[in-house]
Amino acid sequence: MALLQALVDGLLIGGVYAVISLGLTLVFGVMGIVNFAHAQFVMIGMYVAWFAWATLGLDPLLASPLAFAAAFVLAAAIERLMIRRVMRAPPVAQVFLTVGLLIALENVALIVFGSDFRSVRTTYQTAALRLGPLFLSVPYLAAFALSAASAAALWLFLQRTWYGRAMRATAQDRMAAALFGIDPERMYQLAFALGAGLTAFGGAVILPYITVSPSVGGQFVVLMFTVVVLGGLGDVGGALVGGLVAGVIQSVSTVFFPIQLQNLVLFVVFVAVLAFRPQGLLRGVA
Amino acid sequence: MSVPRRSLVPAVLLAVALVAPLFLDARGYPIRVLTFALLFAAMGQAWNIVGGLAAQMSLGHAGFFGIGAYTSTLLLVRTGVSPWVGMIAGAALAALAAVLLSIPTLKLKGHYFALATLAFGEVMRVVAGAWEHFTGGPQGISVPFSPDSLAAFQFKATRPYYYVMLAALVLVSLAFLAVSRGKLGYRLRAIRANQDAAEVVGIGTFRAKLAASVISASLTAALGTCYAQLNYFFDPETVFGLAPISIRVALIAIVGGTGTLWGPFVGAAFLIPAEELTNHYLGAAVAGISQLAYGLLLIVVILIEPRGLVALRIPRLGRRKVEVAP
Repeated sequence: MALLQALVDGLLIGGVYAVISLGLTLVFGVMGIVNFAHAQFVMIGMYVAWFAWATLGLDPLLASPLAFAAAFVLAAAIERLMIRRVMRAPPVAQVFLTVGLLIALENVALIVFGSDFRSVRTTYQTAALRLGPLFLSVPYLAAFALSAASAAALWLFLQRTWYGRAMRATAQDRMAAALFGIDPERMYQLAFALGAGLTAFGGAVILPYITVSPSVGGQFVVLMFTVVVLGGLGDVGGALVGGLVAGVIQSVSTVFFPIQLQNLVLFVVFVAVLAFRPQGLLRGVA
Repeated sequence: MSVPRRSLVPAVLLAVALVAPLFLDARGYPIRVLTFALLFAAMGQAWNIVGGLAAQMSLGHAGFFGIGAYTSTLLLVRTGVSPWVGMIAGAALAALAAVLLSIPTLKLKGHYFALATLAFGEVMRVVAGAWEHFTGGPQGISVPFSPDSLAAFQFKATRPYYYVMLAALVLVSLAFLAVSRGKLGYRLRAIRANQDAAEVVGIGTFRAKLAASVISASLTAALGTCYAQLNYFFDPETVFGLAPISIRVALIAIVGGTGTLWGPFVGAAFLIPAEELTNHYLGAAVAGISQLAYGLLLIVVILIEPRGLVALRIPRLGRRKVEVAP
């Protein structure tokens, strides 16, 4: 029974992991850049939601669009000022630029917000629904539902809108897209901002059950990359499946191992996937 | 590997390095900065064997470094074994870890290898923090005090450490040269230039890369022991950390020019004092500001010259073709 409960919890948590990681995989799929700083947008989303709660009394779930918007704007600026200039540079330069960004963002947060752990109080924080012998945590459920909605919105955007199609075209062939009148640089900027926004959105919806601090992004770095690699780097649909799988692995592993070691189990899975299915790492969006 | 100045420049540099500390306060701040610069130059050099010669960009060398620091210190605390013996034990453990890590990851390239090694370092950090009754957990661990002696690898003043780190840097650099000029170096460069072609002409690419990563890992672990003895205290974040160790070490080699003997010297001579200065003047003001300055410095250096990093790396070895990510 503990196992079944862990499975359910894992799926609910995994839904959020999926959305957080969607942003990362979108950026890679469209731009071909591995953004090591991406996990910091989780932290940024969480702070936006926390301040919305602390100053306006807004529930983090309702503040999640704000988190999306703030990260979207910030990321658009970062893309314009920094990322664009290393798009054609060798991977070494890209890796170190985004790593520099990772360090800078974390420490800006440390200077501005201090090292305190901040959390919100909501009425539903400890509530749970009973489903036969199982309990469904309400904050998990709410975060899952919002994540599913945002993933669906992304899918609609990519499939049904001109911008979405243009973005996928740019990912497939930058030159051909440009010949059809698409501005690739604008698509890159949009993809980067959208990816950051989605990840920040995921950060906001988990605030009811995770405390925020400047270093919270670090908890998500390995996790995010595991999800993305599980699903195939750059594969949006894959990230959804990868997120659910990672959530279940993490949750179920706590049944068998001490909770501190859940990342170790994830790491083993991560390396195993890299080792045995590297050819399965698909390219391109959707 | 320029031929004419080959022996003159190192001899002069070594002489300067040997004499310089005599003019500095044996316990002062400047000699401490220099000592750390030597240690980090040696680490950059160890990284260079795998990151430069084989072009496998590791972001997880903190994993090996921490193994070295923890192994010798735990042995010393629990059984009183000399850090020198602990250093060998740590190097052996790191070599084992490198083999285990290499089996699944060595065939990965570029981003994928960087990701896998990054995860390795991060997981080691998490394990060191979680395994509290064994490692001391997040509070860290102290090297027990003992009177000055080379056998115990402990000195009150910094000057003796300076000479130990200088010796370490020379030894690691000689190891780098031996690898670079030996058969292994030629194999690694062939792999870097074109792995498939290397395979076709009969180079055992896996074995060559494995050898490089084992050598690099065990040297890094030995330097971890040096760090523990020099600093007396460390916690999981300072020895297994991504920014404090893994990235810094790779950066030192890259800024100076990967795959070259002098790269890590240049990188460490530039980066470590720069960091120390920001720490010294800004660190006390606000927590995080020196790290912020470091991150911004990284960004600015790359924005000014994104290709400069590679321009430094390519010169001697066929500059026509830049390796494309997988």
